[in-house]
Amino acid sequence: MTVVGNRTQAEANRSLQPVALVDLLDRVLGAGVVISGDLTISLAGVDLVQIRLHALISSVRAEMVPHDD
Amino acid sequence: MADTGYYFYAISRGLDPDVLNTEVGIEQAALQLVKHQDLGAVVSHVSLQDFGEEGLRRNLEDLAWLESVAVTHDRVARFCAERATTAPLRMATVFLSEDAVREQLAQWYDRAEEVLNRIEGRSEWSVKAYADPAAPAETGGDEPPETMGEGMAYLLRRRTEAQRRESTAQADAEAAQAIHDLLSNHAVAGRQLRPQDRQLTGHTGEMILNGTYLVDQGRVDEFLDTVAALRSEHPGVRVEHGGPWPPYSFATLEPE
Repeated sequence: MTVVGNRTQAEANRSLQPVALVDLLDRVLGAGVVISGDLTISLAGVDLVQIRLHALISSVRAEMVPHDD
Repeated sequence: MADTGYYFYAISRGLDPDVLNTEVGIEQAALQLVKHQDLGAVVSHVSLQDFGEEGLRRNLEDLAWLESVAVTHDRVARFCAERATTAPLRMATVFLSEDAVREQLAQWYDRAEEVLNRIEGRSEWSVKAYADPAAPAETGGDEPPETMGEGMAYLLRRRTEAQRRESTAQADAEAAQAIHDLLSNHAVAGRQLRPQDRQLTGHTGEMILNGTYLVDQGRVDEFLDTVAALRSEHPGVRVEHGGPWPPYSFATLEPE
């Protein structure tokens, strides 16, 4: 069993392929242990996750896709 | 240290705190283990300027920042998962003090043990399936007779196209469900995530399945053989797999 890629290198260069980044965000944002409680500073409501992903999508679109308007 | 928070990466069971000296967290900060009985919270110090509520909202809009934190979070989670049974937390979970981390760990103890029992000796694998839009599930359809008037022929053509689209969508959904059911039989558990946004990934074809599976270490080969067999069983469907991941999608502790 091998771990894909050199993570530290990718981190330094911020050079994940878009698919690999989205696969990762699906997991680190969409799942995992969900926290609630007063001591948590922010996080981890589903709504916040959706906001983040929308922000991300807008930001990627701005970089990748030419705007018509 | 009012300006410092504790970024909480994961809960590990039986992790040797000394091994954390050989890895670092966000901004190269030292990793620490906050213990409660046999459980440990893997944390590092972060600046509340960046990871406080206001800072997070600002930074999450920044793709490079998001990617860098996500990759570091994953690196630390993998590091721990390779050495001990580990439930990763959702990215960007921050506490104000070490005591708050420990209290949360104590409060979660029973449920955390259940989750860790479920994921012990298992890893997460992703399988995505794409339908090729150029290969409709069903070909053919009635050609309008030549004697038919143009308006009528147009309507008939429109209806045939709509029916073809519908039957293709249904065939895609059935193929996706069949693939998911089959893979779930070779896994401990399976989940369907939302299909990914094409504008984000740049993928071609229609993503009909974004599945993720919890697989026993001893059954990984069997699982991957099943994925390979799917490729010949569904020639019109492209199947991609990835892994192993720390079991993010199967480590959920819901708040009470």
